[in-house]
Amino acid sequence: MRFSALLRKEFRECIPWLLLAAVVFFGFGGYCLRAFAFPRYGYLYNPYFQPGSLVEPYRLTNYSALQLPGIWLSLTSIGLGLILGVRHFWIPYFTGTWPFLLHRSVNRKTVLAAKLTAAAITFVISLGFTWIVLYWYANRPELFTLPQTARIFIEGWIFILLGLVVYLGTALSGLSTAKWYTTKAFGIAFASIIIFMTFSQWQLFWTFAVIVIGIVILLSQVIDTFLNREF
Amino acid sequence: MRLKDGLKYIATLAKVFTTVLILLIALLIIQSIIIEAVLTFSYKKTSPTITKSEAELTPEEQRLSRIIRSEKEFSPDGTIDLIYQPKRTPAREKESEIVQVYDANDNLLWEGPRNKKPYEYLSWAEQFNTSRYGVVFTQREMKQLQMITPVFSRNIEIPVGSDNKVKQVWRYYTAGEFFVGYDIDGSKIGYIGSSGFTDSKTNVKPFGDFRFFTAWCQQDSSSPTLLWQTKRHIYQIDFENRQVEPIFESPDTDIERIFLHGWRDLALSTKEYIDREKYQPLLYCETKDNKHHLIMHESKQQLTINMPEDWKNWVGNYYKFTATKQAVFMYRRWIETSHAPDYSKSPEIYQKWWQSFRSQPQKYWVELYKVDNHGNLELLNRYNWTVSGRPESETEFRDYRAVALRIVNKLSPPFYDFLVHLLGREKFWARALEYQNRGDFSYSLARMLLDIRPQGSIFNRLLSAVMMVFAFWHGWPRRTSWPKFLFWLAFVGIFNLAGLLTYLALNHTALIKCPACGKRRGLTQVNCIRCGEGLPAPERGKLDLIFNRA
Repeated sequence: MRFSALLRKEFRECIPWLLLAAVVFFGFGGYCLRAFAFPRYGYLYNPYFQPGSLVEPYRLTNYSALQLPGIWLSLTSIGLGLILGVRHFWIPYFTGTWPFLLHRSVNRKTVLAAKLTAAAITFVISLGFTWIVLYWYANRPELFTLPQTARIFIEGWIFILLGLVVYLGTALSGLSTAKWYTTKAFGIAFASIIIFMTFSQWQLFWTFAVIVIGIVILLSQVIDTFLNREF
Repeated sequence: MRLKDGLKYIATLAKVFTTVLILLIALLIIQSIIIEAVLTFSYKKTSPTITKSEAELTPEEQRLSRIIRSEKEFSPDGTIDLIYQPKRTPAREKESEIVQVYDANDNLLWEGPRNKKPYEYLSWAEQFNTSRYGVVFTQREMKQLQMITPVFSRNIEIPVGSDNKVKQVWRYYTAGEFFVGYDIDGSKIGYIGSSGFTDSKTNVKPFGDFRFFTAWCQQDSSSPTLLWQTKRHIYQIDFENRQVEPIFESPDTDIERIFLHGWRDLALSTKEYIDREKYQPLLYCETKDNKHHLIMHESKQQLTINMPEDWKNWVGNYYKFTATKQAVFMYRRWIETSHAPDYSKSPEIYQKWWQSFRSQPQKYWVELYKVDNHGNLELLNRYNWTVSGRPESETEFRDYRAVALRIVNKLSPPFYDFLVHLLGREKFWARALEYQNRGDFSYSLARMLLDIRPQGSIFNRLLSAVMMVFAFWHGWPRRTSWPKFLFWLAFVGIFNLAGLLTYLALNHTALIKCPACGKRRGLTQVNCIRCGEGLPAPERGKLDLIFNRA
């Protein structure tokens, strides 16, 4: 009961950002996707394929119709992670509301769980559902010649997970009491390393492994710091 | 162990890992900047001095210089000629440049534009490169295609069309290693795998681990045909007719590289055209066991060359093959000196060998062999020339990169040495550093580790010891438990500067004077580590009713 009340409170604070992220991603991503939405796009006759000619291998490679929505998804996800991390773990310092939140008759675990759950729900609703809608749209045969691969769908969810990594990194930096040589920023720095490592992977297994390890490392520190530090 | 305690251990480990990782990366960035800066500022110093100009050379030196710079070409009858281009005119086509043709006895036979020369020489199967065959597409490019980027991974899609219209598209699925065909209206046509076309996914056989492909349109088609090389197989895929032709199979060892000559049926106007009236379409394939295989497409003949065992002991071995309508030939170029030591094992030994190699005169050879139907070689002709050694002053220039590396790797963690040793030098690192892995994160990491590791440097170990002493001095009054104290000392020793910074970031606390024993003590332990007394408590006052310490 107390958890659901706290969750509602945290989620209410997330709603403006949820709507903004959904509008940005759906608006810009959908607009870009619409530009590709007619059959045979990219499969017009290619003048380079002449009888007896050599074919440049890169003329045989194609981007997905979802390539531009992909840029919007990755940027929105990282941006949303950063904003939610700041909203949940930095703003209470500036407004001085940490003691007000923590003096309630709920333990810190419940408070933290409410924040993390609210963030996860925000990601799923604003970006996850929108991504599913755009992917479904890009698979309509009357609009797109080739169906999208399952890999593209998975990669979209990887981008959403990266937003969660950024959220946890921002949370850790916000909670950290470290002061020496910018160690307070190490949470965000570590999240940046995870993003860099993800964008240099080509195998889905290793990509997920990197993200999962990153989330475990950040989450364990966030929980430990939140439960033990003084506010 | 309670969940909370377990989480505490995990969080502590995670905190240490995060901090040391970021500091190692920061250190690496600083080390790289130093190395690049040294390379930039020492560029002029490392450039060897320019040799004498043509006018300063004696007639004999001019003759030797001309021989060295000449192309050595063989005629189908085995005659060797030297083709010398006296000067290169900027922005002029190579084919119209003036060349001189000399025979093996150094007599001038002819002089004129290259494309007008009255002699015909053998042309050879060459490995794919960007200048002659356009952009190559190997395993490396396939990885780049699958790389997760903000615009998602890409696909290989082969359009099949006629009458200037695309009718089908065949998409390669990397997970299944086969092609799936779609009609232009989006309906699925079927699958193409190693066993050919099938309309059922359950019947399609994967091609195998991709290595390389080249594409061209046959003379009678405007749809691409692919030569598709996997780890151990080569296929030719005709998408228009939905046919897969197995070209070569290496059951026991991987294919290293392939070379083509006249294989692709190209139009006369293309730069890569080979006259099929004179030459047989040839595919030359080298496998990892150093065997050389020739596949003649028209005659369906396959040969494995019997190379003498001692050839691999010489430097600069380079082989080329060609198949005319009459015979199969092999071109060999080599240098009469024993082979070089492995650079990655010891750059210093390699550097010494290289300096000795450059300062001594070297005898170069080119040889033409005829290949019989059993793969045996018969020497037809050979030619040699000697390249004089460079003076000591030219060969003795300092390798400033190695010097910079030796300096900056003093701050590298000894842990890198331990890691290299643990993972086994030969297998793991050789695999990580394979050519096709260039551009991979693992390749960059392996390359960096091998370059920047301290390589057992005494100074590096001494520096680690000094940092351990500092950590001891800092940690002694702040220690909370012996295992933790010893862990941090070992950690600093293993990670050098990054370890010390991590230790300080996670352990520094203010010191106070213990009111009981008067010695310095940290604030993270309730009881003094020396006398066991607790932290001083405030005087009892009015607020004790609220903050009751009992």
